[in-house]
Amino acid sequence: MPSFVALPEVATVKRREFRSTLPALLFLALFFVVPVIALLLRSVLEPQPGLQNYVELLGSSTYLKVFFNTFMVSAVVTIVSLTIGFPVAWTLAIMPSRWAAIVFAILLLSMWTNLLARTYAWMVLLQRTGLINKMLMGMGLIDKPLALVNNLTGVTIGMTYIMLPFIILPLYGTIRKIDPAILQAAALCGANRWQALTRVLLPLTVPGMAAGALMVFVMSLGYFVTPALLGGTSNMMLAELIAQFVQSLVNWGMGGAAALVLLVVTLALYAVQLRIVGNESEGGR
Amino acid sequence: MKTTFASAVFAAALAFSTSAFSAEIVFSSWGGTTQDAQKAAWADKFTAETGTTVLQDGPTDYGKIKAMVEASGVTWDVVDVEGDYAAQAGKNGMLEKLDFAVIDRSKLDPRFVTDYSVGSFYYSFVIGCNVDAVDACPKNWADLFDTTKFPGKRTFYKWSAPGVIEAALLADGVAADKLYPLDLDRAFKKLDTIKGDIIWWSGGAQSQQLIASAEAPFGSVWNGRMTALAETGVNVETSWEQNITAADSLVVPKGAKNKDAAMKFIALATSAQGQADLAAATGYAPTNLDSAALMDPEKAKTLPDQQTASQVNADMNYWAENRDAIGERWYAWQAQ
Amino acid sequence: MLLNFERLGWLKYVLLGITLLTALFLLLPIIFIAALSFGSSQWLIFPPPGWTLKWYSDLLADPRWLSSAWTSFRIAAIVTVLSVLLGLVTSFGLVRGRFLFRKTLRALFLTPMILPVVVLAVALYAFFLKIGLNGTMTGFVISHLVLALPFSILSISNALERFDKSIEDAAVLCGASPLEAKIRVTLPAISHGIFSAAIFSFLTSWDEVVVAIFMSSPTLQTLPVKVWATLRQDLTPVVAAASTLLILLTVILMALFALVRKGLKS
Repeated sequence: MPSFVALPEVATVKRREFRSTLPALLFLALFFVVPVIALLLRSVLEPQPGLQNYVELLGSSTYLKVFFNTFMVSAVVTIVSLTIGFPVAWTLAIMPSRWAAIVFAILLLSMWTNLLARTYAWMVLLQRTGLINKMLMGMGLIDKPLALVNNLTGVTIGMTYIMLPFIILPLYGTIRKIDPAILQAAALCGANRWQALTRVLLPLTVPGMAAGALMVFVMSLGYFVTPALLGGTSNMMLAELIAQFVQSLVNWGMGGAAALVLLVVTLALYAVQLRIVGNESEGGR
Repeated sequence: MKTTFASAVFAAALAFSTSAFSAEIVFSSWGGTTQDAQKAAWADKFTAETGTTVLQDGPTDYGKIKAMVEASGVTWDVVDVEGDYAAQAGKNGMLEKLDFAVIDRSKLDPRFVTDYSVGSFYYSFVIGCNVDAVDACPKNWADLFDTTKFPGKRTFYKWSAPGVIEAALLADGVAADKLYPLDLDRAFKKLDTIKGDIIWWSGGAQSQQLIASAEAPFGSVWNGRMTALAETGVNVETSWEQNITAADSLVVPKGAKNKDAAMKFIALATSAQGQADLAAATGYAPTNLDSAALMDPEKAKTLPDQQTASQVNADMNYWAENRDAIGERWYAWQAQ
Repeated sequence: MLLNFERLGWLKYVLLGITLLTALFLLLPIIFIAALSFGSSQWLIFPPPGWTLKWYSDLLADPRWLSSAWTSFRIAAIVTVLSVLLGLVTSFGLVRGRFLFRKTLRALFLTPMILPVVVLAVALYAFFLKIGLNGTMTGFVISHLVLALPFSILSISNALERFDKSIEDAAVLCGASPLEAKIRVTLPAISHGIFSAAIFSFLTSWDEVVVAIFMSSPTLQTLPVKVWATLRQDLTPVVAAASTLLILLTVILMALFALVRKGLKS
């Protein structure tokens, strides 16, 4: 096709580009939107039409505790991951690349290792008769085993382990993009280390941190396997409750209702995240 | 290019859906050593006799059964379920009536037979204890609930099912013949006293691991799992005092595709020989009354059906009636 | 100064210390799994009473492990191909198009990434039972594709956004057809995006367990389902042996990848 014919067509081409999103759109509509909506519909149709499932779900102190657990565990995991992830990402961004490559290899290796195998390893490591308690007792740091598993501590350790890469990798990218000259300028203007950190470096990484933190928070909200294996029954989270409704109690109505609650919260946070990330890329352009 | 992919996908779908017409049935159970034994004692023999392949699936999942029946897409032909579920699901129209012209019910332990289900095997909740890890082993339920005489963690079955609530009431001094209807308030009050010392086991293997590693050196466990644990060289003691029996059942979900073959499979599984073979391999008791005669007397002595001195039978009909209500309360209590 | 490693002073050692501890934290369970796989205790007691290769011979003696690994690989491979192709086509539309609701559409495409997997698993299970796709290869591929597609669209459209469209236009001006220009100019330029889309898609499918538990059938079982079932039911160290072999495979692949990259650079 001769080129000079193609160029005036640009406007129509751009509109035509919409069509290339149709196959994926159709696919997701059929195999994602339809099944999920069908599940949510069961929450108002079973056992009889009405809102009784929601009344029961939101009116019971037990289920409210599950909601609370879900948010608390997600918040704790997010905060711990950020606290550890920020210095690590910072170090990775500035350390000699040969060393950084080794740390990256370890990060990737941990991500590639089967999720269940990792979780089980933690379960055995953390139990009262496990390696960590034995080591701590051997060193004389404690006289009786610490309760590290079947409680919030266990869930936090196990989930932080899984979430760390999701904080470190984007933060690393953000810090790499910061121009060192900005910090030199801060030093020239008389800022000390602490001021340079809190007034310059941290603010510059806030978008990256916010994006990573929201991602981790949202992923944690829906987590299923790790809390079930490393938490106690009193640390139950929403995803586990949904599975319990469907599998043990065979109550699809309540399962659908709990799913809707989880979905609404997740989507709301997702909208917030889109705002943050959207603004960042807009500003960058 | 897109169309080729779509057609390839549909061709693959077609290929898979047509392959389901060969002579085979699907048996679902709970996996692990028990299902391996069921395969050897029942499925392999069934295939040898009839030429019908028995595919093994699992673990059994009641949510899946409901979804299958409602969607008329039942993929399981014979399912090993808990006895209380079987009694309830039969009443709720989730199961096919069994064909007792094919299955001989005259020799089956009547405790475990309904129109919709027959006993698969029966087991006891006993007190297992790792002798090397503790000074003294609890002998009865009162001991197991006594944290001053027997300090440390203890393990109980996580899911809502016959066993733990009965144990709590027995520990609290309720007479075995006065257990039903269960006094749930009293049971949960008793359970509250040891709640902080319970580690729940959600599968048989986990109960073995907890006791072997002394994470929870004693607890309420299925008797067969302790037999298996002893065979691996762990020094365990099993107390049969007030052992609480419950049974698994074999059922056919409503709308199963190979109903006739399923009935024949259940007939073989509940025959005297089929039950004897399974009992010999698992340490669980046979539900066919003629099986004991076919077994090695030494082995037969170690099974739950011989431990009747202080045995307590969980009431499956009571559980079938109250399964949902107890379940909801149970999980709510756990989550608190 | 804060971004110059050599001029950090004492802070350098603090940061290095935290990073080292984190690296150890990440390595600990991996090394532990490998150690368990050689321990002679069936009940995961550590340190074990002795060392053995028994679990590896058990692993190789059970054909179900190998067949489930093969099933996982086939599903992951098909998912990867479909996810990259679909992601590529969609990304062109999302990045180049200027239609209404473009951003909303993009957000919609990424939703499966944040939807709790258990919700999707339960929903798809009920849906597939109705249309007869449950327990089939097609069912597996579709459900994993739903999960993988967002990652693919994300990586490819990010790469495409950074690519200067005028280079492609220049190729068209020089006489290439638009399709030719896309294949010969644009695709190589965004190959890193395509590559990471492929890796993420493969990983998503390969390591996925929640949906797979619902989708699996007696004739079609993926490796994570086999691991899950074994952990729940038998808890044998064979799982540790299988995981160790997988970790070894990963290390080899990563080393090969690093070597190839080095070779390309020099």
